[in-house]
Amino acid sequence: MQNRWTGSVRRRRTLGVALTVAVAAIATSFVAAASGGGSRQKTISVAIVANPQMQDIARLTPSLFTKKTGIKVKYTILDEGRLRQVTTRDVGSGGKAFDAVMIGPYEAPQFGSAGLIKDLTSMAKSDKAYRYQDLIPAVRNALSAKGHLYASPFYGESSFLMYRKDVLRKNGIKLPLHPTWQRVAQVARKINSSSMAGICLRGKPGWGDLGASFTTVLNTFGGTWWSAKSNGKPDKAQVNQPAFKTALDFYAKLVQDAGEKDAANSSFNECLSQYQAGKVAMWYDATVAAGVLEASDSPVKGKNGFAFAPHYKTPSTGWLWTWALAIPRSSPDPADAWTYIAWATGPQYLKAAGSRVKGGWASIPPGTRVSTYRIPQYKRAAKSFAGITLAAMKAAPITHPGTTKRPGLPGVQYVGIPQFQDVGNRCTQLFSAVIAGSIKDTAALSQCQNIASKAIR
Amino acid sequence: MTIRKRRGAKLGVGERRAVGAGLGMLAWLVGLLWIFPIGWTVFTSFKTEQDASAQTLHQGLGLGRYGDIAHSTPGTLSLQTAFMNSLVVVVVSTLIVLLLALPAAYALAIRPIHRWRDVLFFFISTKFLPVVASIFPIYVYAEKWNLIGTRTVLIILYIAINLPLAIWMTRSFFLEVPRELIEAAEIDGTSLLNQLRSVILPIAAPGIAATALLCVIFAWNEYFYALQLNFANASTMPQWVVSNVSTRGNFLAKLSAASTIACLPVVIAGWATQKRMIRGLSMGALK
Amino acid sequence: MTAAAAADATLPKGTARDPFSSAWRRRLPLLPALLYVVAITQLPFLVSIYYSFTNLKDKTQSLIPEPTRYVGIDNYKQIFSDPFFRQAMWTSVKMTVLAVVLSLLVGTMFAILLDRTFLGRGLIRTLLITPFLLMPVVAALIWKQQMFSSLFGVLNKALNFLGFNSVAFISDHPLASIVTVLVWQWTPFMMLIMLAGLQSQPADILEAANVDGASSFGIFRQLTLPHLRRYLELGALLGSIYIVQAFDAIDVMTGGGPGSTNVPYYVYQESIGGGFRYGSASAYAIVVVIFSIVIATFALRVLSSLFRDEDRA
Repeated sequence: MQNRWTGSVRRRRTLGVALTVAVAAIATSFVAAASGGGSRQKTISVAIVANPQMQDIARLTPSLFTKKTGIKVKYTILDEGRLRQVTTRDVGSGGKAFDAVMIGPYEAPQFGSAGLIKDLTSMAKSDKAYRYQDLIPAVRNALSAKGHLYASPFYGESSFLMYRKDVLRKNGIKLPLHPTWQRVAQVARKINSSSMAGICLRGKPGWGDLGASFTTVLNTFGGTWWSAKSNGKPDKAQVNQPAFKTALDFYAKLVQDAGEKDAANSSFNECLSQYQAGKVAMWYDATVAAGVLEASDSPVKGKNGFAFAPHYKTPSTGWLWTWALAIPRSSPDPADAWTYIAWATGPQYLKAAGSRVKGGWASIPPGTRVSTYRIPQYKRAAKSFAGITLAAMKAAPITHPGTTKRPGLPGVQYVGIPQFQDVGNRCTQLFSAVIAGSIKDTAALSQCQNIASKAIR
Repeated sequence: MTIRKRRGAKLGVGERRAVGAGLGMLAWLVGLLWIFPIGWTVFTSFKTEQDASAQTLHQGLGLGRYGDIAHSTPGTLSLQTAFMNSLVVVVVSTLIVLLLALPAAYALAIRPIHRWRDVLFFFISTKFLPVVASIFPIYVYAEKWNLIGTRTVLIILYIAINLPLAIWMTRSFFLEVPRELIEAAEIDGTSLLNQLRSVILPIAAPGIAATALLCVIFAWNEYFYALQLNFANASTMPQWVVSNVSTRGNFLAKLSAASTIACLPVVIAGWATQKRMIRGLSMGALK
Repeated sequence: MTAAAAADATLPKGTARDPFSSAWRRRLPLLPALLYVVAITQLPFLVSIYYSFTNLKDKTQSLIPEPTRYVGIDNYKQIFSDPFFRQAMWTSVKMTVLAVVLSLLVGTMFAILLDRTFLGRGLIRTLLITPFLLMPVVAALIWKQQMFSSLFGVLNKALNFLGFNSVAFISDHPLASIVTVLVWQWTPFMMLIMLAGLQSQPADILEAANVDGASSFGIFRQLTLPHLRRYLELGALLGSIYIVQAFDAIDVMTGGGPGSTNVPYYVYQESIGGGFRYGSASAYAIVVVIFSIVIATFALRVLSSLFRDEDRA
């Protein structure tokens, strides 16, 4: 009985403490939630992607932006996949969570045409410091619909081929500046060995992963995802056409014969690791990789050669992707949002960032403005790849990526219709399985044809 | 010591001790192998990024990555904010879960209602709807009631997802309370609350601690609702960890450090209470 | 005497002047929890049912606004002609059964190992729980980047050291990779439950059997296993409920694909993962719920002993 009693007293005290804590915690949380607004200083909420350049600007915002304008910026940093989910839902359902969101050229014209994000053209053109004409035309066009700019570019990339000059030289191979895919495949198979694979190509499922690389190959092999009606709407799925099969077979066989290990799981990060570790001799991927490969602490610094994205039936094939800031229609504070966007994507930030970011001049956001490529410090730091990057971005064939007319809005490595995201995801899952050897190409193609046909019904 | 052979070939003391030591060593080996991935990750968190990517050790070990993640830029989600959010959400939701589950378990174990099987089945069936499907209606209503980006919405949801488990487990602990004690209390005429306090809780306390720990684990590690509803405000620890994952660049060491820190509170709580948890789950041994 | 009947016998019957009948007095403590769960979980469920009869899509999915209209059972008809959904269901079954059974097996073996006293038992037990305490996203990332990676993964380094070729675990064996991560995380949970079961065996009966000269294996088979049955079922039930909803491992490790997409991931793809077809996704979810209820009813009421009247040993 004695134990029971002391136990009971202890229990009562514990329960009392627990209840007090609970009440206090609930009260605190309600107070905290309620005191969200009403701060004297203006604060805007921005969603950005978790890339190094974006982390840099988040770090520099208090000193370079808030100090001058008095506007605090609250960043939500997410990786690409989740950022897309969150921004799509916020923009699509009129949420008020963000004043500005980071989107790409896939979403910008679509959201803009649907009236879900604000038209930035007049604000951009009238802002002298913004220098509207300085934007790389291909980038500007990719973010516009019917001549109206809907998002301002912060970061841009195209695709090209990177290779180990020393390894190719040792094998007596010299790659031209504009190689064909057949030549690249031949070289890859020749230099492929068990210790160093010939080439690294993306294989991970996802419309932005395998989908991006593969679609550029598809384009230049004369294939396409859908044919287009005269009004720009998608007509019929073209996955069952011979050009598509040729492209898929070429890509899958090249990876199987001379590609990286664990290809079905590899995207940018994995290929980067492999290339830096000397496990692959060539790599076809985003131009921004060059900045990492030539960074001062890179193990392959100075050993890299660059060539334009390989082609076959079309003259240029490099993709075009940019991360750009847009203002949702339901943004709580659009005026301050534009002040922020004009600063973040304007030429002054690029000049200020070079001396302040950890990676130095070579890691300022590339591929958005022509003036970037005239900054002397940048030209010096990015000597080996700046020229070819700018040329690749200028040449990205966003209106005519292939040999036939495309439906939807412009785009190189994707099709500018809302259904592409889902179709691309599902089909690349199948294609990735083809690369891994777990299903046959004919099975993947017929299943993908079904998916693509159903999606546009 | 002679070894007597009986039916079933029993071992002598010497042999038994050898077998015991051998099994003990086996347990150690198995245990260390099992947690090797965790140990390796913690080890990686002390490396530089270059070493981490290539799995080498050229540049020594240090606390650099931890310094990186502990200092965050003003304007981005900081460790401190995420930690506070997680702490409040987890503590409040677990307390309320216990507050609701204890009486419910009483009604399902001590003085069971007539249709206790149906009720238990209903509770479990609430976990059949995939979270990915319920997110859109929840998002729509949370938006309507201005709950997006608040701790409240997470507290509300976490209570709902942990209650079924808490009720199931608490009920099975209550079932272990000896019938005689309950009957004695009823003959004495004690009220429900007093019965709970003086008779049931002392015996079921370890089990309830086990249940609370499980609720804490699931709430702390919950990522999907937190991401979909609290992307801008009131973000929690899982979101903070994942904010170190980049699409363009490997930051394995930083991610390892962030993962280690994020999981540490729950790991410590688990370590501290696991003995009680086993005792709780094995109520019968007290007889 | 069953628990319910025994309880019935002891309860004072409601008198004419007692407003609360005995049945309602019993129900009262249950009501707060029940009402709360009904309110929070059934509202989204009913809304999902409503959506499943419409063609609700996210506004971003069409360049000109499309009004949401009622489409009857079109979404449901489409489900039954969808080969990918069938594949996802089959993958779900494989994944869940493998993960639950394996983690139960390994967990039981660990529990048997840890049931005896040895030096440092508490420490090993403590360490062994840790995988269960990690965030699923973190666990998946650890296995993907540190263990399974083709180039730098520890497993492949070990294989190479022993003279074998590297294995591309995630590319070539997606389902096995995911099941490995799930088993790694859930074995500690099963181990704890089984440890409780082992330590709750009535010591006197075991002692008696020992004295009678039964072999340890015989004791295990005749006495321990039947006693453990209830714990095995509890572990299987709780494990299944959580493992069938496994999502993070697939998202992080394989990104989907024919070998590894389970039903939650498939529904995710249909809704916020790219399809943004909320109406159709809701229909899939409702079908899944109905399936789960059927299977669970069968498992719990017919197979399992959890729902029979408990006998207090």
